[in-house]
Amino acid sequence: MRRRYIINIIKKEWEDTLSNLNTLLLITLAPLLIIGQGLLVIYLVVRFAGEGVLMSPMFQTAMEKLEAILPSIAELPPIDKLQVLLFSQLHVYLLLIPVMIAITFATFSIIEEKQSRSLEPLLATPVRTDELFIGKALAGSIPALVMTWLCAGLSLIGIACLGTAHILGAVVTPSWFISVFLLVPAVTVLSFLLGAIISSRVNDPRNAQNISLLIILPVLALIAVQVIGVLLLTPLLFFIIAVIVGVVDLIVLRIGVRLFQRESIIIQWR
Amino acid sequence: MAVIETFGLSRSFGNIVAVEDLTLEVEQGEVLGFLGPNGAGKTTTIRMLAGIIAPTSGYAVVAGFRTDHEVERLHEVIGLLTEAPGFYNRLSARRNLEFFAGFYPYVDTQTQVDKYLRLMGLWERRHDKVGTFSKGMKQRLALARALLHEPQVLFLDEPTAGLDPEASREVREFIKDLSRQGRTIFLSTHNLAEAEFLCHRVALFRRQMLAVDTPQNLRQRLFHRQVVVQMDSAEDSVVDAVRKLDFVQAVHREGSRLIVELADFERNRPNLVECIVTAGGRIQEVSETEYSLEDVYLTLVREETEGSNATKS
Repeated sequence: MRRRYIINIIKKEWEDTLSNLNTLLLITLAPLLIIGQGLLVIYLVVRFAGEGVLMSPMFQTAMEKLEAILPSIAELPPIDKLQVLLFSQLHVYLLLIPVMIAITFATFSIIEEKQSRSLEPLLATPVRTDELFIGKALAGSIPALVMTWLCAGLSLIGIACLGTAHILGAVVTPSWFISVFLLVPAVTVLSFLLGAIISSRVNDPRNAQNISLLIILPVLALIAVQVIGVLLLTPLLFFIIAVIVGVVDLIVLRIGVRLFQRESIIIQWR
Repeated sequence: MAVIETFGLSRSFGNIVAVEDLTLEVEQGEVLGFLGPNGAGKTTTIRMLAGIIAPTSGYAVVAGFRTDHEVERLHEVIGLLTEAPGFYNRLSARRNLEFFAGFYPYVDTQTQVDKYLRLMGLWERRHDKVGTFSKGMKQRLALARALLHEPQVLFLDEPTAGLDPEASREVREFIKDLSRQGRTIFLSTHNLAEAEFLCHRVALFRRQMLAVDTPQNLRQRLFHRQVVVQMDSAEDSVVDAVRKLDFVQAVHREGSRLIVELADFERNRPNLVECIVTAGGRIQEVSETEYSLEDVYLTLVREETEGSNATKS
């Protein structure tokens, strides 16, 4: 791997993708809206629905499971417990950000290369296809990770501002760290790879994004099952999920690298 | 010294044979025109020679490197102009070239980019987005990109396709200059006038090699040389006198013109003229039938089609 070539690709990808205003807004504003919306919804639920929410059997089940994982919250008032339960979902909600950004980069990067037919001259330079692929993957993954971690930081500031005292300490758990620093990178890579593979098969970025965004469904399902108390993930479960996604990354990477051969790009990509 | 050599180079896509048993040599500094109809396998051949796709069988050596095994080294010494220019339309002309130059570590990027932007007449537009360029400008920029690293061997795939006459002429003149610099150029085209203007030799190709030689030699190989005698009027007595000459192989009368095929053309042409004058013919002009490269091309392609049809039936 020649770092110089990979950096050359990353710089070009960023310049090209970010010179598109729509993409730029999607990458910068949408994550802020996602996290802002999450904080706002929680704030409104706590402010206006308050403890009444906890009367629902669904929330009661969720709360019991949360107390089993976090015994330290047993002594907190019900309204604080509700805040812990809801704010604890934010780090899972954050997973939407890397999915969205990495898929956007992958689809724009690859489909625009196909549409402008710039891949063939690129393949006639001394760059190897693995360097090209890694360059593109990093170009898509780095902004996804940076924006997600930035939003994770903002979400903590939001929790500190909106939540009652001591809530922050109950939200920033080992699960939070595993989710933000293991699961987010694994999901980012998976999103890019799936976006790249799908983009090699279709010619319209919107189609590719529509198909790729199916990856959001498991993330939404994860949030839903936690909020309604079907399942509350322990740090170990978060770790196992991160490892599973990492293994899936490796499998999908092999498929991606195979698709990203000179010959496949020229002959099979349509 | 051969810079491009192919040995039984073949490529199939499923059951379809795109290139079959291509054996060819291109010398250092030579411009070889690779002519053939659409779908003849020209682009596939260029892709194989440029190390972008692998042959199904056979192999090629370009500038000393096997195109299937030494791809990265090969790409350091070749330049490829693809059929479609292929640029990042939201980036400027300069940034596009800088990006591609970034893959040649030994190239002084700024110097080479500036040099070719000026040479291609794009200096004033260097900061403009490529998406705003005309097709001719994009093609010139693509040529600049192919030359940034000063390659020994250039593969040009339909360099003037889709360009207006003025842009085509500019590109042709530039290719001529490259040829004068001693670069080896493999030029795929179906523009026969362009091939005649630019190429030392032409290879006529349709899935397999039909012929390869200089345009002049191909004409001589395919067509008998004919004398065209323009007279005031071609009287029967004159035609009869010409027919009686033992070195005359065929005579056609077209109005006041006689078209005559001769054995030993150079030696007997004066004898023919003398005979016509003696028989009372009043000669306005004596010339030779001109066969264009197009005639050569069409004849060879027709023969190949008839040959393959006969084989099928």
